[in-house]
Amino acid sequence: MNMKKKLSAAEFVVLAEMNTPKGVDISEFVTNARGIKGRMDAVVIPDMDNGVMRMSALGGGALMRREGLEPVIHIYGRDKNRMALQGDILAAYVLGIQNLIVTPAEPMASGDHRDAKPVEDLDETGILEMIRSLCEGVDMAGFELKGAPDFTVGCAMAPVAGDQELAREVENLRGRVAAGAQYIITPPVFDLAAYEKMIEALRPLEVPLVATVFLLKNVGMARYLSIHEPGCRISEDMIRRIRKAPDREAECIRMAGETTAELRKMVRGVKITTLGWEHRLADILEKAGI
Amino acid sequence: MITAVRKPMEEIIACVSPYDRILLAGCNECVSVCSVGGRKEVSLLSSALQMHFLKQGKTLEIQEVTLERQCDPEYVEELVNSVDSADAVLSMACGCGVQTVAARFREKPVFPAVNTAFMGASERQGVWSERCQGCGDCVLGITGGICPIARCSKRLMNGPCGGSTKGKCEIDTDIDCAWQLIWDRLKALGLENRIEEIMEAKDWRTSRDGGPRKIVREDLAS
Ligand code: SF4
Ligand code: SF4
Repeated sequence: MNMKKKLSAAEFVVLAEMNTPKGVDISEFVTNARGIKGRMDAVVIPDMDNGVMRMSALGGGALMRREGLEPVIHIYGRDKNRMALQGDILAAYVLGIQNLIVTPAEPMASGDHRDAKPVEDLDETGILEMIRSLCEGVDMAGFELKGAPDFTVGCAMAPVAGDQELAREVENLRGRVAAGAQYIITPPVFDLAAYEKMIEALRPLEVPLVATVFLLKNVGMARYLSIHEPGCRISEDMIRRIRKAPDREAECIRMAGETTAELRKMVRGVKITTLGWEHRLADILEKAGI
Repeated sequence: MITAVRKPMEEIIACVSPYDRILLAGCNECVSVCSVGGRKEVSLLSSALQMHFLKQGKTLEIQEVTLERQCDPEYVEELVNSVDSADAVLSMACGCGVQTVAARFREKPVFPAVNTAFMGASERQGVWSERCQGCGDCVLGITGGICPIARCSKRLMNGPCGGSTKGKCEIDTDIDCAWQLIWDRLKALGLENRIEEIMEAKDWRTSRDGGPRKIVREDLAS
């Protein structure tokens, strides 16, 4: 069953995030994809994740399709204007990519091409409206398309530090849902009780939520996020649990698996982010009992 | 200087129509020089608005004030008393002035009466043209004093493009081709070799592309 059908049938979807290589050596990318084939519903390919220049998500998505996996690609407005975005979205569809996630982009200043000129022609809501229009067979200039695409489109929720930010973000997302987002990818979950509150706040939007499971790979990463991402809610207990484990790597995998298992009872899907440890995706699912 | 053009009358009317008393604030700097938001224009707009509303049977109370500089909090302070007896402020300054007023009087609605256009120079009486985009890393010293960013329609750093014809830009025959101008000027300076030097991909960090900019002069900051 493809992702669209699973989402509409209220079945739990499992997405794996996989970054394209910085370069043309796709061996690891493809090997990792083969390793998870059949276990994941779809593979999410970010585009220039964290502002780092790499092979485009369009190319990555087409490769996934070739490997027989269902791709979901990120779309954002920092690097392309409405012409380029529309052209790539049409190309994505004919290359077999039927799922898009409209995401915010890291500022150019935080990436690896800091001197580049950002485009920012359309914001996320503008892109969602544009995709809807393309699906209706009309481009942004009002011209009719020769053959319209049909996408399942999600949007991404920004991490929120407190209740005030949550309330503001819910309003933001309301606009995105009105503009055509069919599901929401929520930020990494480390504190299930706090996440419960988030789910409550998002319930009025009446769209499926897909939670992000972010694999903490070591104590340093956990510590860094707990300090620099105030909204992430990584507790001292979690950090201690990794530090005290005899096999820290295995513990990290177990923790991600446990979170996934819990989230399965709470939301409609998970997106598992492993930042280079895609070869451990299968282990996380196993620990989650999926 | 910063240039601007007045907004269409209907748009201004739509902004102020819910109010009975407005403060119409002009600025004595750039917008005054380009004859769009100085004392004279404040007075003209004030009369036009009053006439419009009178025809509709409504008296719109307008206080006219033209500040020395609306983008300077020190001068904006002069509005403190007049703002109290107004329901809204209609500003004829550029966007910087409007925002300084809005930041000072947070509880008062503030509307722009002009569309801020560009940083330009006066070509002749009544004609202003764009000259600078504030890229933060000026190249005029190597392009013969002509800005390729503000004046080449495609912002080419290594022009001209294939569309330059008889000194005019392919976008519009009313626009001079910046790269033709650069070439002519470099030739006049005996520096035509420079056109062969390749300009590297520009670092846009100093431009608006690195995020909103700020200048802090430690020697002046209090
Ligand atoms: S090079 Fe930059 S600073 Fe100099 S005139 Fe052009 S835009 Fe302005
Ligand atoms: S014709 Fe000249 S000014 Fe116009 S885009 Fe080409 S190089 Fe630039």
